[in-house]
Amino acid sequence: MFEKECIQSRGFKNVTGADGKITGFQITIRSHYYRGVWLSQLRPATITADGETFTGGQITWTINGVTYTQAEMAAIGDVHWGVLEPAVLTVSKEGGLSSGPHDIELSYTYSCSYFPPFLDTVLGSKPQKRTLVLV
Amino acid sequence: MSTVATKPKRGVSLYSYSSEFGVSMSLEDMFAEMQDIGGYGLEILANSHIEGYPNPSSEWLDNWDRLIKKYNIVPVEYGHWVDSRLYEGRELSVEESLEMLIRDFKLANRLGFRILRTKLGVIDEILSPVKNWKEIIEAALPYAEQYDVIMCPEIHAPTLLDSEIVKEYVELIKRTGTKHFGLNVDFGVFETQALPADHWGPNDFVMPPSEHSRVEDIIPVLPYVYCCHAKFVKVTDKLEEMTIPYEKIVNTLVEHNWNGYMLSEYEGPNKDVLGTAPYQVRLHHAMMKKILGE
Repeated sequence: MFEKECIQSRGFKNVTGADGKITGFQITIRSHYYRGVWLSQLRPATITADGETFTGGQITWTINGVTYTQAEMAAIGDVHWGVLEPAVLTVSKEGGLSSGPHDIELSYTYSCSYFPPFLDTVLGSKPQKRTLVLV
Repeated sequence: MSTVATKPKRGVSLYSYSSEFGVSMSLEDMFAEMQDIGGYGLEILANSHIEGYPNPSSEWLDNWDRLIKKYNIVPVEYGHWVDSRLYEGRELSVEESLEMLIRDFKLANRLGFRILRTKLGVIDEILSPVKNWKEIIEAALPYAEQYDVIMCPEIHAPTLLDSEIVKEYVELIKRTGTKHFGLNVDFGVFETQALPADHWGPNDFVMPPSEHSRVEDIIPVLPYVYCCHAKFVKVTDKLEEMTIPYEKIVNTLVEHNWNGYMLSEYEGPNKDVLGTAPYQVRLHHAMMKKILGE
């Protein structure tokens, strides 16, 4: 089972490149929408960590072990992100984050074809906020 | 028509438990809850409740069969979508939409569902379906027949029962003579009273008020109604729904020998507060039981 929040407390960590240097950090989330979505329905996510904002090409999504850039996702209409499947968002940030608590904010929207089109940039747009502890 | 008096049956749309699913309730927990309240008719949402959708594993399918049997669940309605705005900046073609539909027909058939709540994309604020909806539906009819499923758009507020689009749906059924296209009526179309503002919670999305249908407007379309979303907003501890005239609706269905499933769909306050939806669904079933004289 998940924690109720979109941003899960588990899975918050720095990531290292092949040369052993820290290249960024990761958060694990669950969908905050009641139904699963096709990747192309998702609009690019924005993440802030302690007020520093990351967007577009600075973020990748990993779902079921496959990693996608946000640009790629716009064209992938046959891969589904289910509501029981965690997604790992990896953020590029040289040196990563320090050990201890960090204020994390995430926002993204998705298209919902059975609602009026203008809602595609509104649904789910309320930022998800959580203070996470990096160990 | 049968001379034996028949009655609507009770069921649950798992949409009601959206906030609980994966957090406080598993698929099995939701089935156990349905059995406990005697609401055996099931609506799932394909994209939510089928793990690994649209390609569930054989283990998942085996477990599905086991759970359906264990809790005496009746698969009634399979909710699915044609996500017409799947790609930003354009709408799906008829062929792409058909592909999505066939994928769901196969899966619904495998899981034991005949009725589909087929949600097409809309193009405006009064929820008019995509312009090519007729082409999509007519292209899908032979496949619906092949997989023995009935596509049902949901008639949902602010759409009225006595409206142009419902006439067009009925016209398609009459013209083609199909048994594979029908209607799902959401009881929200009968909402006569808004819930007082102070009943809503801080995170709730409140539907703007809209014109409502008269209960008797369902009578002429009943032959095409395969199941209903028993939408509700709040049932009091005295077993009264505060916004929708349930007694009149259920009695109308009984009088006309409609014996399909009424699937509870909770869309009320504090849905995101764990425990609220299961509590409300239980009240809703206690209320429906009372009206049905069970």
